[in-house]
Amino acid sequence: MNAPLAYLVAGVLLLAVAAYSTAGGVDFGAGIWDLLAGHRDGQARRARELIDHAMAPVWEVNNVWLVLSIVVCWTAFPPLFESVFVSLYPLFALALVGLVLRGAFFAFRHIADDPRQHRIADMVFGVSSVLTPFFFAATLGAIASGRVGTYVPEPVWQVSFSPMSMAFGLVSVAATALSGAVFLVGDARRQESPELVEYFRTRALLAAGILVVAGTAALITIWFERPQLLVAMFTTPALAFVLAVMALTPAAAFLLWRRIFRWYRILTVAAIGSLVVAWGFAQSPYLLPGLLTIEQAASPESTLILVTVVAACVVLIICPSIALLVYLDQRSVLESPEG
Amino acid sequence: MLLQAEPALLPSRIVMAFTLAAHILLVPLGVALPTLTLIMEAIGIFRKDATALKIARRWSVVMAVQFAVGAVTGTILSFEFGILWPRMMGRFGAAFGLGFSIEGLAFFMEAVFISIYLYGWKRLPPRLHLLTGLTLPPAGLLGAFGVLAANSWMNTPGGVTIEPGGALDVNVWSALFTKALTYEFWHFTIAIYMTAGFMVASIYAVAWLRGRRDHYQRLAFAIPFSVGAALSPLEFLVGDLAARALTSDQPTKFAAMEITWRTQAYNPEVIGGLIDQSGNVRFGISVPWLDSLLAGFSPTTVIRGLSSFAADTRPNTVESNLTHLAFDVMIGLGSAAVLLTVWYFVVLIRRRRLPESVWFYRLAALAGVGAYISVESGWVTTEVGRQPWIVYGAMRVSDAVTTAPAAFVWTMLVVLVVIYALIAFFFLTLLLRLAARWKREDLAGTTAESPERGVPYGPRQ
Repeated sequence: MNAPLAYLVAGVLLLAVAAYSTAGGVDFGAGIWDLLAGHRDGQARRARELIDHAMAPVWEVNNVWLVLSIVVCWTAFPPLFESVFVSLYPLFALALVGLVLRGAFFAFRHIADDPRQHRIADMVFGVSSVLTPFFFAATLGAIASGRVGTYVPEPVWQVSFSPMSMAFGLVSVAATALSGAVFLVGDARRQESPELVEYFRTRALLAAGILVVAGTAALITIWFERPQLLVAMFTTPALAFVLAVMALTPAAAFLLWRRIFRWYRILTVAAIGSLVVAWGFAQSPYLLPGLLTIEQAASPESTLILVTVVAACVVLIICPSIALLVYLDQRSVLESPEG
Repeated sequence: MLLQAEPALLPSRIVMAFTLAAHILLVPLGVALPTLTLIMEAIGIFRKDATALKIARRWSVVMAVQFAVGAVTGTILSFEFGILWPRMMGRFGAAFGLGFSIEGLAFFMEAVFISIYLYGWKRLPPRLHLLTGLTLPPAGLLGAFGVLAANSWMNTPGGVTIEPGGALDVNVWSALFTKALTYEFWHFTIAIYMTAGFMVASIYAVAWLRGRRDHYQRLAFAIPFSVGAALSPLEFLVGDLAARALTSDQPTKFAAMEITWRTQAYNPEVIGGLIDQSGNVRFGISVPWLDSLLAGFSPTTVIRGLSSFAADTRPNTVESNLTHLAFDVMIGLGSAAVLLTVWYFVVLIRRRRLPESVWFYRLAALAGVGAYISVESGWVTTEVGRQPWIVYGAMRVSDAVTTAPAAFVWTMLVVLVVIYALIAFFFLTLLLRLAARWKREDLAGTTAESPERGVPYGPRQ
């Protein structure tokens, strides 16, 4: 057993979850606004087109963060993985169905011919964009509630659908709606459409308000269900991240309110990332509160080293590649005989 | 009795089998189509062939759409390990997960590199674009390596020692490079390149049969078909090595593949046929001595039979028959591929041109589907042949299965079947529309449009 290494890999896992929450959140959020846009007028149609345009280059690539989290979890902390899935399989199954329907119907609306099919596709895509982040975050809430564990006698459905699971789920829906709207503001600006900038700016401010309300409700829920966690959030290093969330969210909202279109995206991403990291630090050193610590769950040292090497490769190979991709995305199209 | 003890066992096995069988269909093109595309692009650049470039760019669109579908079905699989087999993951995750960690990295690389390659068509000069594409084949191979390392570990587990307290100690190197990996890796990697080659070529064989015989069709047929054909004899040899290694690595699997009941020398090779519970083989053609000859190059080679293993350590009757028939189908189709290859190369070398026989193209048109059936058969052989073990000799499938109620898993199966049917329908509709539009463009002589238009995933234009 190598404790520092186990903590390092736990940090990798937390960062992967945070990356999925932020990168995936932008994507889910766009789906939520797609659902709420309705079909009433031309503005709704234009908003929808922007959402389509913004999502097109993403193509399910955010799943890499999800797969990475899952794989790191089962390789580096097998007992955690086993307990979580034994206790929370209903939530994972629901999230998974949402995830797949979302991807499939996003594709379908590009091939649907008649308007009725198109509306069904929009509906499924939108609803699953709400449900998927909800159920994924609910699993984190269930873990934080201290109810997850292979030998906990509570029925599975009670563990899965506890007040804290639901509270975490709601926070994540609000957070994804916020990051979705914030990034759509950026996309609308790139398309030089003042109308849509205003459209999504209003919605971003609305989502920020809802996030504050949902966050407060979640804190109250934690106070009733697991006060130790709330104490930890305000006494351990988690406090730094809790404060970050509390400062960054209003800061991003303030910038949007004053129409200062700088830093607002990075602040939003940092706020949501901090939210996840705060949860992780508040639980530390426990993976399953009161039951399983990071050291107890960790795989043998050699396995942890391999996982660390893989994580390092992700950073070394992927980061420059993503930079290249962003550069290409912003570079103008070359003249070529292919057109 | 087992079914009563573990009510979710049967539906869990069906769910896993269904989703794996679906995902494996996406693997050949996912791993090997980038290579075919790059060959085509290189021809286009270095021989200044605009048609080859057009083909390469269209293939890259198919590659991207395929990748998106594969990402979805692959993500589902990673969750199923937890939902369906939590006890295996809890016990052996530290060793079994190693290959998947590497596959996770590879998946990441593929996702980003494919985006770069697609974006690059219009944004990078041709040679630099080709260079960025060269990252794709290694990423695909790394992914295949990871998954095959994990699967090989299930077949010939190694690198794990159980300490006195019951905890595992893992030697990463031995757990990744287990005995089975040597043959599984080459056998499957060659299989997917071969399958991708035959599959892509079969589309243009159909075009030939429908009367399209221009430079475009010839090029798009000849390159992938040559890749498939060149690999098929090699695959035959590697497959033979794999089967013989099983006689010592997984004797129960080998006995099931050959439906051998009694341990004996001068063992016949049964082609087709079914075994019953008391070991009688019905139907099928029995070739005397052949199994012993093939396994040990001598008729006196002793082959262990199913009856020499305790009943709860070997595949049951149904599983044995399934393994055997799948094995025979794979061998049959593999042999057919070798014959087609001989035909192709004889014409190519002696006449210095592509075959012109209608029958050749009819068979070539079937070769794509045939290759997919072989891949599925090979997968059935290795997975069903491993039963009742999830980790050979170390953990039974029934000891790994979820504690969730059977009704939950059955519901999951129904939902997944519906979703997969939808995905398959959307995927095929999209591909057929792309094909139809490209054909229209070719007939009209316009190439102004981007081949990517109308694809839900891909770079902004």
